[in-house]
Amino acid sequence: MSRVENHVESGKDPASKNSSIYAFVFRIAPFVSLFLLVFIWFAAAGDNNRIFPNPLIVLRKMIDMLFNPVAKATLLQHAGMSMLRVICGLGFAILIGIPLGVMIGWNGSVRATIGALFECIRPIPVLAWIPLIIMWFGIGEKAKVIMIFIGALTPIVVNSYTGIKFVPALYLDVGKMFNASTEKQLLMKIVLPAALPSIFAGIRNATSVAWMVVLASEMLAAKSGLGFLVYRGMEVFDISLVMAGMVSIGLAGAFLSFLTSFIERKVCPWNTGIKSE
Amino acid sequence: MEHGNKVRVSVRNVTKVFKDKNRERPVLDNISFDIYDNEFLVLLGPGRCGKSVLLNIISGLMPATSGSITFDGKDVEAPDPEFGMVFQRTGLLPWLTVMDNVRFGPSMRNVDKSEQYSKAQYYIDMVGLTGFEKHYPYQLSGGMKQRVGIARAYANSPKVLIMDEPFGALDAQTRYNMENEVLSFAEKEKRSILFVTNNIEEALLLGDRIILLTACPASIKAIYDIPFKKPRDTMDQDFLELRKVISENTDLAL
Repeated sequence: MSRVENHVESGKDPASKNSSIYAFVFRIAPFVSLFLLVFIWFAAAGDNNRIFPNPLIVLRKMIDMLFNPVAKATLLQHAGMSMLRVICGLGFAILIGIPLGVMIGWNGSVRATIGALFECIRPIPVLAWIPLIIMWFGIGEKAKVIMIFIGALTPIVVNSYTGIKFVPALYLDVGKMFNASTEKQLLMKIVLPAALPSIFAGIRNATSVAWMVVLASEMLAAKSGLGFLVYRGMEVFDISLVMAGMVSIGLAGAFLSFLTSFIERKVCPWNTGIKSE
Repeated sequence: MEHGNKVRVSVRNVTKVFKDKNRERPVLDNISFDIYDNEFLVLLGPGRCGKSVLLNIISGLMPATSGSITFDGKDVEAPDPEFGMVFQRTGLLPWLTVMDNVRFGPSMRNVDKSEQYSKAQYYIDMVGLTGFEKHYPYQLSGGMKQRVGIARAYANSPKVLIMDEPFGALDAQTRYNMENEVLSFAEKEKRSILFVTNNIEEALLLGDRIILLTACPASIKAIYDIPFKKPRDTMDQDFLELRKVISENTDLAL
């Protein structure tokens, strides 16, 4: 029996000199732009550092906050609080949203009833829910988690539902031909795995929505969290605190999306379309 | 020739009409034939003449408008594990490794785990993919994917193997290799094989019998017994002669 070569793995072009120079340029280009950004920031800030602190001042502020608490918490603790809220709200949204979306996609009568209701409520953006949630649940942790939950639910349900709906008929035929005889077997062994990349795309969207909502909720009312830090900076007119908060928000958000793509790659190693953002 | 053998599958007066909004489109017109035990039967027909539809009906994936399919005397109404299918577009499940794809059929029937693996390994070795057990389909070339499809069909221990234009998407060289390998698999693992193709040379290389279909709606135009010993030589005088006869009798695809 002939042994076949794997063309995909061994197929490498010999790199010419030209392409290695290009590769080098592409490798350093991001650092060059980052350097330019910092440089322009320095130039724009000029001497008026109370109104427009330069990068060094912001960096120093961040390092200072790592060790000296602002409002009884260090920078990492504030970041941790925001993350915790996101994980709670997002967790509930995943637990409820995936089964809901899957049922809407898989079962015609669920689609006609609950699916239709969901379609009616879906166009109301999460920010429009905030007053109602505050009146019902106050401004504590519960209210924040509920806001995040509502914001994260929609992308998860919609993506799970479309993922299920667009499972290629060929895979269902394959399942039936190879003994997946019950509805449950088809759902668990064919439909769900086939829809998993789409479900994960929903979770990725939901994560960025959740991150946005938690910051908004912390600016409304909170005693901790990165959103709170930025708002506190505005209240006491400490612009270096505002900017340090913004940079931290960016870093923490990047970490969150890195985390979701990391988990996605572990769960769907076959999906080569996963971007690391 | 294995004709003296008993009939495994009989297809009787199968007709299929697709109903679009307000017009009817007949696809299969009164098709009847038998598949004998251990024979290599080729369905040859022009492109888009309803060959895949016929296979889906025979395998129980799709109901016929009228007519019947029986397997060892029983009616086939739902997908039957006695049929193994090699799909035209491979239909490998992208989330499963080569090993898990090949043992998918047995695993759905809750066959003992160690038996699943040993059986899957046997057929992975047979199709020459030893060492690729942990690869995902996206890491394989087109020919390798279809090898996995063939191993998967064999591992389900079907009595009848259905191959739906399995090499249609392959380049000429790979296709030629695969045709020879399919012959050696068929030699090694005795099965009734129903092989669909639109390629006359492929049909003549592989088939014990060739059923020639007309253009849409498909009906049976002729049935040829192929007397040549396998493996066959495509340059042999008799081979070329028969090729010409069948070719002249074949409808042109649109």
